[in-house]
Amino acid sequence: MRISDLKVSISGIRGIVGKGLTPQLLMKFSEAFATFIGGGTIAVGSDTRPSAEMVKYAVFSGILSCGATPLDLGILPIPSLQIYTKEKKLEGAISITASHNPVEWNALKLIKKGGVFLYPYEAEELLDLYYQGKFRRVDNPSKIEKEPNPFELHEKRIFQFADIDLIRRKRPKVVVDPCGGAAAPFVKKFLERLGAEVICVNCEISGEFPRNPEPLPENLNLLCEAVKTSGADIGFAQDADADRLAAIDEKGNPIGEENTLALAVDYYLSNKKKSPVVVNLSTSKVLEDVARKSGVSFFRSKVGEINVSRKMVQVGAKIGGEGNGGIIAADVHTCRDSFTGMVLLLELLAWSGKRFSELKEDLPQYHMIKEKVNISFREGKRILSKLAEKFKDGRVDFTDGVRVDYPDFWFHVRPSNTEPVLRIIVEALEEGLANMILKKIKEDL
Amino acid sequence: MNDRVRITVSGIRGKVPQSLNVDIASKFASAFASYLDEGRVAGCRDSRFSSHMLEMAVCSSVLAAGLDYIDFGLLPTPFLQFLMKREPFSGGVSISGGHNPLPWNAVVLLNEEGAYLEPFEGSEVFNIYESGDFKKASWKNLGAAAERDFPVELYLKEMSKWVNVQRIRESSFKVVGDLCNGAISPFIGVFGEFFNCKLVTVNDDLGKPFPHPPEPSIEHAGQVEAVVKATDADIGFLINSDSSRISFVSEKGKGLSEELTLPLCIFSLQGKISKVMTTVATSSWADWAAGRIGIDVHKTKVGQSAVIHMMGAENAEVGGEGSGSVAFSPFSSGYDALLSLAFLLDLMSKEGKRLSEIMAPFPEYYMEKCKIEVPPEMTYKVMDKLEKVYAKESPDFTDGIRVERKCLWFNIRPSTTEFILRLILEGETESLVKSAKAEIIERIEE
Repeated sequence: MRISDLKVSISGIRGIVGKGLTPQLLMKFSEAFATFIGGGTIAVGSDTRPSAEMVKYAVFSGILSCGATPLDLGILPIPSLQIYTKEKKLEGAISITASHNPVEWNALKLIKKGGVFLYPYEAEELLDLYYQGKFRRVDNPSKIEKEPNPFELHEKRIFQFADIDLIRRKRPKVVVDPCGGAAAPFVKKFLERLGAEVICVNCEISGEFPRNPEPLPENLNLLCEAVKTSGADIGFAQDADADRLAAIDEKGNPIGEENTLALAVDYYLSNKKKSPVVVNLSTSKVLEDVARKSGVSFFRSKVGEINVSRKMVQVGAKIGGEGNGGIIAADVHTCRDSFTGMVLLLELLAWSGKRFSELKEDLPQYHMIKEKVNISFREGKRILSKLAEKFKDGRVDFTDGVRVDYPDFWFHVRPSNTEPVLRIIVEALEEGLANMILKKIKEDL
Repeated sequence: MNDRVRITVSGIRGKVPQSLNVDIASKFASAFASYLDEGRVAGCRDSRFSSHMLEMAVCSSVLAAGLDYIDFGLLPTPFLQFLMKREPFSGGVSISGGHNPLPWNAVVLLNEEGAYLEPFEGSEVFNIYESGDFKKASWKNLGAAAERDFPVELYLKEMSKWVNVQRIRESSFKVVGDLCNGAISPFIGVFGEFFNCKLVTVNDDLGKPFPHPPEPSIEHAGQVEAVVKATDADIGFLINSDSSRISFVSEKGKGLSEELTLPLCIFSLQGKISKVMTTVATSSWADWAAGRIGIDVHKTKVGQSAVIHMMGAENAEVGGEGSGSVAFSPFSSGYDALLSLAFLLDLMSKEGKRLSEIMAPFPEYYMEKCKIEVPPEMTYKVMDKLEKVYAKESPDFTDGIRVERKCLWFNIRPSTTEFILRLILEGETESLVKSAKAEIIERIEE
């Protein structure tokens, strides 16, 4: 089985630097995007990967080549870039980040007018342009522009939404771990301005990520230790592009990204607005329980931020997200935003007067297993139909891969958009049951 | 056909975006960086709208191959070449269309000395380009980019070793220059102050497009001629967009052929040089000037690459061409217009004469340059035929065919950039030249 180290898909272009991801390809992809956008200003932000510089210059030249103006925003969290694009009414933006992938990877993520990702059919059209190589190259390219303080706009937007007085009265002690990523230059000051006492770990930008950038419990030892020893009220972990958030309770235990989302949504529904809730098909059932408790309608969409945010607009949902820690509050912007997530959890902490571990205990308890299995892309389809057959007595849903629901458990199996893997998620009331179902699923792989 | 990109040792030239675009520029930069293998690359660009775009493409490709990129920003190519002679760089890239008009641009590759690539170096880079087998550094070993300012004080200090600065300052020349809105614009003021010149410049705005085709030829001299007369200046000059070529205007407001730049510099360097390198297509004024100060002339192929490399091989300190290009090897390995201007100011102050007086003893030559359109598949057949036709006159084959007659010479060669033959004739009278031209064209058409 050959696994390509370059992946051109509707999620953008992604690859390993020094292997598949060459300046020529990056340039070509940027040319396709500028042609697709048709001119105007395209903002460019990056995370802190050392390859960002090489990638950035390729992107600039591609944008210039097709008659658009690159706006250099430097290191910037992806939600900040999305909000900047929306507020400044720009034609589009490119984020240079491979998100939670390891440091040798990099990628371009494409953002359109309004600060949201391309819809799948738009991305298809862009890919068509890319493969045909028919670009709208101009003879009088424009100039590169710069903006020194793009994060300000994001912060301003959140501060309009946040109950800052509530947080300031509590003056919570917070430990934050931005993984030396795109949030690193901003997050400490941001939390301080909210009235928190802040300790920052992994705040230096060193060129290598100090931990695996995915905010999974097993990657957060340093943060957990710091929360415990400093006697903090809460800990926050962000990923490299700062769209995902995972919270740590005051005892130094990660509450899990699913529960992080659940607590944020629960608080929003009880204290901000009653609104429908949208999450993706892989998200924990806790979210369904939370929505039911507040008596609001509940929807699931395909996996991927754009699918969730589109559904939110469609059904008029103000809150939602993805179970991997991607919290979306439409009052700020329909994008996954770890900064907004931190605000909601800090408000919750202040408003409830409880310890964070207690808040987590209040949530319904499920047992969830997330697994990745390497497969070739060709195998994927066959496996899915086999699974649907095997579990046909459950409620089968083919919206995105295959999801099957039973009263006491559910699972979701789908090929990843970004890696040649099959993602398996099983959630059950009991750990034993979850393990048994996982075993049953894997029999067919 | 005319939109084809031209790949030669003098750069990757083409019209933006039809034939020269970010894709080709980045592939050449990747090939060049793969060839250089390690170290750091010096980069600069001219003021064309497409130059920054091409530079970004080059920069990204250099970093991806694991070499550092030192960006000198908007800078004349000769300044980069000057610095490369004095600081360790693996190579250089200048994004500059030089004398080519818009929408042309070029990616010019420089070796570690700051000189244009030699043919063998160039062909190695082109082979890597063709193979597409570029060096790819891992994420840990990517190069880094840095911006740097050009040390203009060092440039002037080195220049002052070769001219009598004190004497030039005392002359307080009034100088008028047309900068073609080129990369020299931000630097000319410092140059003027250093030499205590009263400087009047036109077309000195980098943000504006070229006011005329960026060659310093006499047909574009009208503006400078008028300002020289109006301001009663001592000298005028026209510089091309990347400051490698220059021509002069006398105090009477009369534009001088760019063929006169090299012979004037030869005069200025009397006593400091022993040999001149020029080309088989350059005016006999260079031979005449060299003869007057008693030094040898050696002729090579047309083009900066050939002239610079033959200067090294033959130990010629000065070299140049009739395009207004002059190089001085102790100073740098490239043509430098500003250095020629300094030589001229030095000559005027040394002789204590006005420019028209210095020109007085120059013999009268009549030169004609023409393009003969020939279909590409016929080019070499025509050249073969001419070789036979002129065999009796023991022609020189250094570059195309050069024939010397009493009171006249001509050179005919296929252009490396267009599908034409370039014919250059020079003789003592116009009628000699006209009749020879008619004869050659008749032979071609036979």
